[in-house]
Amino acid sequence: MTFLLPAFIFYLLFTAYPIIKTFYNSVHLIQPNASDEFVGLSYYFDILFDDRIFSNALVNTFIWATAAPIIDVALGLILATALYSKIPFARFFRLAWFTPVLISYVVVGVIWMWIYNYDWGVVNTLLRTVGLDAWTEVWLGNPSTALWSLILVDAWKWVGFHMVVCLAALHSLPSEVIEAAELDNCGWFDKLVYIKIPMLKTTLVNLLILAFIGKMKIFDLVWIMTKGGPLWSTETLATYTYKRAFQWDTFNLGYPSAIAVVSFGIVLVLVLSMSWLSRSRERLEY
Amino acid sequence: MLARNVIVRSLILIVLAGYTAFAAGPFVWVAIMSLRTTTEISDNPYGLPFPAHWWKYPEAWFNSNYEIYFLNSVLITTGAVLLLSVMGAMAAHCLARYKFRGNRLIFFLIFSTIILPPQITIIGIFQILVNYGLYDTRVGLMLVYVAMQMPLTVFILEGFFARLPQDLFDAARMDGYSDFEIFWKITLPIGLPAISTTVILNMIYIWNEFLFAVVLLVDDGKRTLPLGIQRFMGDNLDDTGMLATGLMIAVIPVIVAYVFFSERMIQGMTAGAVK
Amino acid sequence: MSVVKLEGISKRYPGTAEPAVDNISLTIDDGEFMVLLGPSGCGKSTTLRMIAGLESISGGTLSIDDTVVNRVPSKDRDIAMVFQSYALYPHMSVRDNLAFGLKRRRIARDEIARRVDTAAKTLGLSSFLDRKPYALSGGQRQRVALGRAIVRDPKVFLFDEPLSNLDAALRTHTRTELIKQYHQLKSTMIYVTHDQVEAMTMGTRICVMHGGRIVQVGKPLDVYRNPADTFVASFVGNPPMNLQPASLSGAGDAAALQVFNTRADLSAEQAARLSGLKGGSLTFGVRPEDIYLGLPATDAARFVAFKAQVIAVEPLGAETIILAQAADGEEVTARVRGTVSVHSGETVELFMDPEGFRFFDGETGKAI
Repeated sequence: MTFLLPAFIFYLLFTAYPIIKTFYNSVHLIQPNASDEFVGLSYYFDILFDDRIFSNALVNTFIWATAAPIIDVALGLILATALYSKIPFARFFRLAWFTPVLISYVVVGVIWMWIYNYDWGVVNTLLRTVGLDAWTEVWLGNPSTALWSLILVDAWKWVGFHMVVCLAALHSLPSEVIEAAELDNCGWFDKLVYIKIPMLKTTLVNLLILAFIGKMKIFDLVWIMTKGGPLWSTETLATYTYKRAFQWDTFNLGYPSAIAVVSFGIVLVLVLSMSWLSRSRERLEY
Repeated sequence: MLARNVIVRSLILIVLAGYTAFAAGPFVWVAIMSLRTTTEISDNPYGLPFPAHWWKYPEAWFNSNYEIYFLNSVLITTGAVLLLSVMGAMAAHCLARYKFRGNRLIFFLIFSTIILPPQITIIGIFQILVNYGLYDTRVGLMLVYVAMQMPLTVFILEGFFARLPQDLFDAARMDGYSDFEIFWKITLPIGLPAISTTVILNMIYIWNEFLFAVVLLVDDGKRTLPLGIQRFMGDNLDDTGMLATGLMIAVIPVIVAYVFFSERMIQGMTAGAVK
Repeated sequence: MSVVKLEGISKRYPGTAEPAVDNISLTIDDGEFMVLLGPSGCGKSTTLRMIAGLESISGGTLSIDDTVVNRVPSKDRDIAMVFQSYALYPHMSVRDNLAFGLKRRRIARDEIARRVDTAAKTLGLSSFLDRKPYALSGGQRQRVALGRAIVRDPKVFLFDEPLSNLDAALRTHTRTELIKQYHQLKSTMIYVTHDQVEAMTMGTRICVMHGGRIVQVGKPLDVYRNPADTFVASFVGNPPMNLQPASLSGAGDAAALQVFNTRADLSAEQAARLSGLKGGSLTFGVRPEDIYLGLPATDAARFVAFKAQVIAVEPLGAETIILAQAADGEEVTARVRGTVSVHSGETVELFMDPEGFRFFDGETGKAI
């Protein structure tokens, strides 16, 4: 039992206690050099009904957290099927594609800022080379393209991860079932759609939920590349919380704490409902 | 039929090559830029590094404080990973081997913190560290990292430890080993693969961590690499050349480790995702 | 008509010196139940998979009904396969499992329904059609796997050790079911197993394989009675045939066999067969059931007697297995009807029936 103690103390001190403190903060006006004032649920009402920035951030985060997982997992699965058929240098490809996962968001952010650079970045240079000048954009500076530009960067970082997991899952499928499908007149596509994907359902759903959780937390990338701009078009729940806590005109930790609680509530509800919905009563025993 | 096969295979190779360019391209570009001066880059962003300005690396290291940032990152990461491995292993051992009321509850509690968005803890942690005088200290940040990665570490290790055959432990107990000896002499050595997996995982997350570092460190002398890069970016956004060199300094340790331990790393990072 | 012909078929895996399958030639006639029998690793499964198209053929020609199918993809060979692990689609109901292949082949819906219902009825699956595989027992899953093959109405059925995953009682029951199906369907069937009981009871012909090569092909009883070499002799039949080194003495009319420290006179025919041996070593074989405990009532004169000390007695009810040691130190197994009252340690007299003598070249193991 004492084995558990150190870890548990850490948990209490640095996880449980801060959470409780955040809940406490959310109903108080917290200022330095002044005692905390109880304000009841006023912040919550403000957030949910008055705060346009919050709703903006919520929508942005939500778009990111729903679109990105689907893109990431789908691409990951497709790439995994490509690697699964015995092609040469499979190991090399696998290693190369996994590399972005290891690189810090900060480094990734800077690199892609250069890639998106209007004058000499890769994207616009490529477009100009093929004559599509009209399509060049200030990718990170245009409110309508900024969010999706960031989502692309995020995908760049994470598709390799999903690919590796899907590849491992594909290899774990029983070969005889795939062979039976082969004899049942299934081509490459039919096998994928009718056999492999259904059998991989649990893994894929796990990946989607994991990705969803991860994207709801997104901060680093946005902070480095756009800081939530332009015009709040890339503002996320995390960046807004940070700004409100540490970069606002008025120093009040109560309001951002309330934002944090609301964010947490939303994530919790969504994750629980997704897990519950995808809980199938069948066991894919094989 | 053979022709169709060839076409399909070529298509696959094209897709693969294309994606590889997409995935590795940016990295290669930065590597090249790190060896060119900013003027060279402004003239031709995509030129090759002839001549290769190797002096930029020591220049960045010493003149732009990267040595300090690097050292900080190393200190914090090593300390945190050590604490995580020991305490995490102990906690996982306890949860996996001993049946007691609340075992599953505690496990669930620890595991569920993984879905917590960091916003919910960061404000509270900020306040706590300020109150205890740990704000703007490397030790404070390190402790926060330990708490942050503990759930995942315990989760992975518990899964592995639970699969160790109970007979081993029963035999040890009959031989008179104490609980601690059992942990030290049996669980740890046999659990080494799983532990090294968590070591790699934690190393990567902590080395690259940004949000908590940005909030909890202010003094330039204490900054970790991600912060260092951000600061450098703020001061010298136009100095593309030096910035690229700085990026490479931040990334090379991870890449080197990856080259040597790639299998282990991939295994570690995807552990538990396949069901 | 569904004739499968293998001519010089071989399979080589890159990196291994020995071929997994070495120059196999075999013709399976229309409506035959051919069993490929052999120990693990003998290449029988590989051969089956090459016929199915799941493994590429390294050398030789495979034809089905005079069409060379070496490069024809599996789905176009008009074959169906029952896998060892049944390979049912775990996420589909039994009905969907049966119908899947037909749907992929764009067969009309009512035709699919008809075939599925007929197969289900024949195999007793009608009440399970909506269940998923995890809710079925091993035997039921096996039947679904068979049903999936039946609805395809293929030219050839392939079976890859389908009974290995069943427990003993179920295995016997399912074996008879399969034989019934065979007689009903009257299709060509190729069946792989390592169990010689299955081979003996199910096959119209058996093909014994060893080390990637065919050792003997023939009707089960023929293979049993006249094994082509010592491997077949010891593999087919349980308990296995007694095989001992033996020596010849005398020549011509006076030729005799020395074995178990006793002398056995040889018939003229046997002597003639052995005449070519001259000085080479000889392996002698006799099946346990050809060794008797008491002198048989009729025709007693021809039996060869020898003494042996009983080591162990295994009473099985309908018969008894006696393990004994002959005077020359060789162990011998005898299989006698009913129960006997001998005990371990006792010295008994055993009688061999010369009709059961088999002779093999001591070096090559081939039958003489």
